[in-house]
Amino acid sequence: MEATRTGTWLPIEAEGATALDRVFGLTPAAYETFREVDGALWDPDRVDPALVELCRLRIAQLIGCDAELEVRHDQARVAGLTEEKIADLRRWPTSPCYSDADHAVLNFAEKFVIDASSVDDHDCAALRAHLSDPEIAALTTAIALFDATTRFQVALGIGGA
Amino acid sequence: MRISVPEGGLSFFDHQPELFALFNRYYGTLWSEGVLDQATKEVGRLRNARVTGCNICKNLRFAGARDDGLTEDLVTEIADGFETGDLPDRFKLAVRYADVLITDPKSLTDELRAALLAEFTPAQIVELTATITAAMGFSKAAVAFGPPPDMPILVVPTPTPDGSVSDPLPS
Repeated sequence: MEATRTGTWLPIEAEGATALDRVFGLTPAAYETFREVDGALWDPDRVDPALVELCRLRIAQLIGCDAELEVRHDQARVAGLTEEKIADLRRWPTSPCYSDADHAVLNFAEKFVIDASSVDDHDCAALRAHLSDPEIAALTTAIALFDATTRFQVALGIGGA
Repeated sequence: MRISVPEGGLSFFDHQPELFALFNRYYGTLWSEGVLDQATKEVGRLRNARVTGCNICKNLRFAGARDDGLTEDLVTEIADGFETGDLPDRFKLAVRYADVLITDPKSLTDELRAALLAEFTPAQIVELTATITAAMGFSKAAVAFGPPPDMPILVVPTPTPDGSVSDPLPS
């Protein structure tokens, strides 16, 4: 099958600036509501955007989505996330760049993506040691949406590694 | 439940009511304002529930899908061995696609892509992909903070942009 501008295997695309715009835009009402919830994930009043960004990038690594790995969110940079730290993300369990809170969050995100049933009481206690329940709710919503969107992009041929 | 449910709430997502409302608006739009029949999306959602192991999602039935002809007899076919069962080919295709999305989206084959394009429009494929993956995210959250309660099969209204996926759940 011949690839289109985005690399997707779908035979038509919508108008838009990004590959996601052009593919998800084929269902414009759903895409508009997706953008609203996706945008709300980055509100620093909900949970630290640096933690959200680390989860998004780690999920992209796990599922293999180059398109997501190329993106950076300003809110995370403002919150203090550096490229040096991101460069060590594949080595987070042993890297000195990562705090105990990072470990709790990334451990949870990895288990969520790979096998949600493997999340145990210890993992949740580790999260609660660093985050409030509202912060955990916001972070979990973000992880769930990133897991979904990353799989969406890879399956439809947008930026798969 | 490993994470508390706020007073007056039905799930831990109610700690973030505005964010959860936005998620529900997205999910409800996929279900109620889409271009693909609800029965096909329901087959994908229920396959996700089985693979992800969400006891809540496994036993929920969306009314619109039932109205579209997805009977309980057909739902029982969404199981291992579905390929040789009585599911219509369109539903078997949705199950195969759900399995790929949930396990390894990079494993999507040219054969399955061609089958999807032969059966669905591009917009319908996008909607099916978004619906199954969104359902997966919700299921995984329920499983991660579970264990989800055992509950009987429950037919509930199809999600709408103004509703909540947790509205019908027992507290």
